[in-house]
Formats: sequence, C-alpha cells, structure tokens
Amino acid sequence: MSEEGILGRKIKGLFKVLCQTEWNATVAGMIVALLSILIMAWWRPWGAVGAIRNWGDWIMYGIASLAGSEAGILELFDEAPRSILISSGSVIGIGFIAGAFISASFGNDFAIRIPPVLEMCKGMVAGVLMGVGAAFAGGCNVGGMYNAIGNLAANGFAMWLGLVAGVILGLKYIYWEMEHISWGSGGAKTFNFPFGLKVVLGIIALVALVYGAYCYSGSDDDYVASLSGILVISAGLGYTMQRGRWCMVQGFREPHMTGDCTLAKSVALSIAIVAIGAAVLKYSVPMRADGEAVLDPINYVRGTFGWGAVVGGFIFGFGAMLAGGCGSGTLWRVGEGQIKLWLVVPFFAISNSMLVAWFNDNDIEADGVLGKFVYMPETFLGYGGTLFLIVFAMVIWYVIVDWNEDTGKMIIEM
Amino acid sequence: MSDVKQAPDGLDVARTLDAKGLSCPMPLLRTKKEIEKINSGEILEIFGTDPGSRNDIPGWCDRAGHEYLGEKEEADFIRFYVRKK
Repeated sequence: MSEEGILGRKIKGLFKVLCQTEWNATVAGMIVALLSILIMAWWRPWGAVGAIRNWGDWIMYGIASLAGSEAGILELFDEAPRSILISSGSVIGIGFIAGAFISASFGNDFAIRIPPVLEMCKGMVAGVLMGVGAAFAGGCNVGGMYNAIGNLAANGFAMWLGLVAGVILGLKYIYWEMEHISWGSGGAKTFNFPFGLKVVLGIIALVALVYGAYCYSGSDDDYVASLSGILVISAGLGYTMQRGRWCMVQGFREPHMTGDCTLAKSVALSIAIVAIGAAVLKYSVPMRADGEAVLDPINYVRGTFGWGAVVGGFIFGFGAMLAGGCGSGTLWRVGEGQIKLWLVVPFFAISNSMLVAWFNDNDIEADGVLGKFVYMPETFLGYGGTLFLIVFAMVIWYVIVDWNEDTGKMIIEM
Repeated sequence: MSDVKQAPDGLDVARTLDAKGLSCPMPLLRTKKEIEKINSGEILEIFGTDPGSRNDIPGWCDRAGHEYLGEKEEADFIRFYVRKK
C-alpha cells in the first residue's frame, strides 16, 4: 500500500476511535471528571437542572403572560426569566445537547425514535417526578449528587442514598408493569436518515457551536464573554457521555438488574477525581485578576442535607427509572433523537420550575426546612478528612458492586 | 457505532421479540423475560432501535451464559440473535 494509502487509513482509524467507537466507560468517566473540573476552574460547576429549570421558567412565564399572573402559582412568574442564551445554566444545557447531537450524528446513532404510547406516558410522569425530586434535593443526579459530593457538600451523600432506594423501587415497578400492563405497546416508529446527511448535520452543529462560542467571547460584558468556555466545555461533556453511553442512573440500576458494575465503578472513580479537583480549587481559594474567587467554596453546597436530599433523591431515582435516563442521561438521549426523553424535559422543567419558585417564595431552603447547608471541610473533617471520606465511600461502593457482580447478592429477580 | 458482530445467515429462530422504539432499560428487560419462554439451545431474535442495546445485549449474554450470535442491521432497526444456554 502506498504511503498516502496508509495515511488515509490511519486518519480513518482516528475518526473511528474519536467519533464512532463506543468509548470505554472508565475512560469516559475520567474525561467527564476532567471536564467537570475544567468547567469549575473556568467559572462554575455544571448541572442539568439549571438548564431545564430556566426553560421551565420560560414556559411558566409564557403561561402567566397568556392567562394572567394573578392566580396562584402564576403570580411567581410575572417577570421574564433570564434569556436562554444568557442564563449560564441554560447555555450548559444547550452546549450539552449540541455535543451529544454531534456525537450521535458522526457515530451514526442519531435517529428520530418515537416510542410506544405507554413509554410516552411514562416519560411525562417521569419528568414530573424528576422535577419534584430535583427541587427537594437541590439538584438532579449531577448538581445534587455527582457534583455535590464532588464539591465536598454533604447533601450529595444524602441524595446518593435516596437515589439507590428510588432506583430499586423503580426497578420493582418496571418488573410489575411488564407482568400487568399490556396497554400502549403500539405506536413505535423510527425515522432514520442516510449517514451522509447525519454527518452534514453534525458538521453544521459543530460550526454553529464554534460560531456561538466566538460570539460570546467577543462580548464586552465579562459575564457573557465567559459563556464561550461554558458552551464549549459542556458540549465536550455531552459528546463524551453520548460516545461512552455514560449514564449515572445505569450505574445505580445495573448492580440490581444484571449485576454489571462497569458504570457504577466508573461513576465512583469519576466522583473521587472531581472531589480532588474541587478540593484543589477551593482549598486555597485562588483568586482571579479582579479579586473574585475562582471557585467559591459554597458552590453546590445546598441546604438539603437532611430529609430533603434523601426524599428528593428517592423521587428522582424512581422517576429516572421510568424515564430511562437521569438528568444528564436525559439530555444526551435528547441529542440522539429519543422522543421519549424529549417528552421528559418539558414536564421536568415545569414541575421543577413551579416547586423551586414556591420554595424560594417561602424561603423553604433558606429556613432550613429541607435540611442543613453542610460544607464538609468546615466541619471537624477539614479538607483532608473530607477527601478521605469521599474516596473511602467511593472505594466501598466500588468493592460492593464488584463483589455483587460475582455473587449476585443484590440482584432483584424478576 | 461500535465494532459489531454480524450474525450468520439462515438462523433457525424459535421466538421473536419486538422491542422497537423501546429505550434503555426496557429492551434488555424484555429480552430477559422473553428468553424464559424458549428452550435451551433455541434462538431468540430481538428487534431493537436503541443504540444502547448493542452493548447491553452482548454484555448480558456474557454474564448470563447465553451465546450472543450477532446482529443484522435493517434500514430502521437492528435484529439481535441470542442462543439460550
């Protein structure tokens, strides 16, 4: 083969590895951790619910504008929320979905997949439950658990407990549903597109993403200019998660369903890496040139360490089982064209938006009704003790799921 | 799209499960349930559209001891083949 031929083969091989082959779960978890630390160093931790709530606030504002904002909960939505292109939470969501879409397009995974009717109904109910759970827990599985533990906040552990219980109940429900509900099994339809068209759509999304980042970075307003990095890093997160099919709820579910612990181990490793990164960024509180903290220690520490995060995690975990995706898993599946998850998002958005607005209006979190604000390094643990606790907890989780994979002791039979 | 194992032609299928349109974890759960309805050595064919099944079904076969025979890609769905242990 000529040298040009070999070069062409190598380039094709690289494209396949970067854009088509499913990434190993451990590698994907480490890249997610790296990007999670980078986005914290850039500005703020990422989350899925910030985006979804901003979109929900817009839906509620639209309803209030049409129906009048005098009645009940609509009173809380008489002012326009921050623009979806300016709210940092929303920009994270847009970048994340765009990244997942680009990955799904190049990897030939994108198709419009309309599920059976029962699945569509489950998606709507799941969305409501996930919105409610995320409001109680102070975030979804990302902001309330993954990045909360990663940001050394005790509420992350409380949500973790609730998630385990909620996922187990959700699994039991699905077993029951398979035996007892036969309604709504029809109506599925998939619209696939030629691979060439998907590549073109992926390239268009990539160009739009780069153009958007340049538009932000050219702004005179520092806040808006910072959104450039937020958009790009969150696209990297969406890309990585879709390519590795990295789904946190699967990490919680599989040990009880099939015994497979690949994703659980990857999530545990990823959380430990984020915690180390956050400790470095928060410990000495490095300052930016203007004197502002790079990462304020209170970031992602929520006043839900108590029943709020446990119950919220439980409701969210149950909802995520019905949805077939957690907060982040829902968004990357939106990017690969799964209509069931498209339905989850607006219901998640509206229920979370309403409940959080009501909580804020009544100072529920501020008054400590849901639990306490506990930044673990400020307790007797200090930074060293906190890191030890997090790494120790992840090691225990790792060992338990690994042991279970061989023994099957925690598997719930059908 | 991972490196996929292509199923041989002319497989004698004992039962077919239509899991088109279902997303994770339903295709695998339905597969687990459906395989109970065939005898050892018989082949279950699964129609699916979730890209996650490409990983889930072979992975489950490995752990459960069933033989994963491979897949065949159609225009808008994938056929997976599993021989029961």
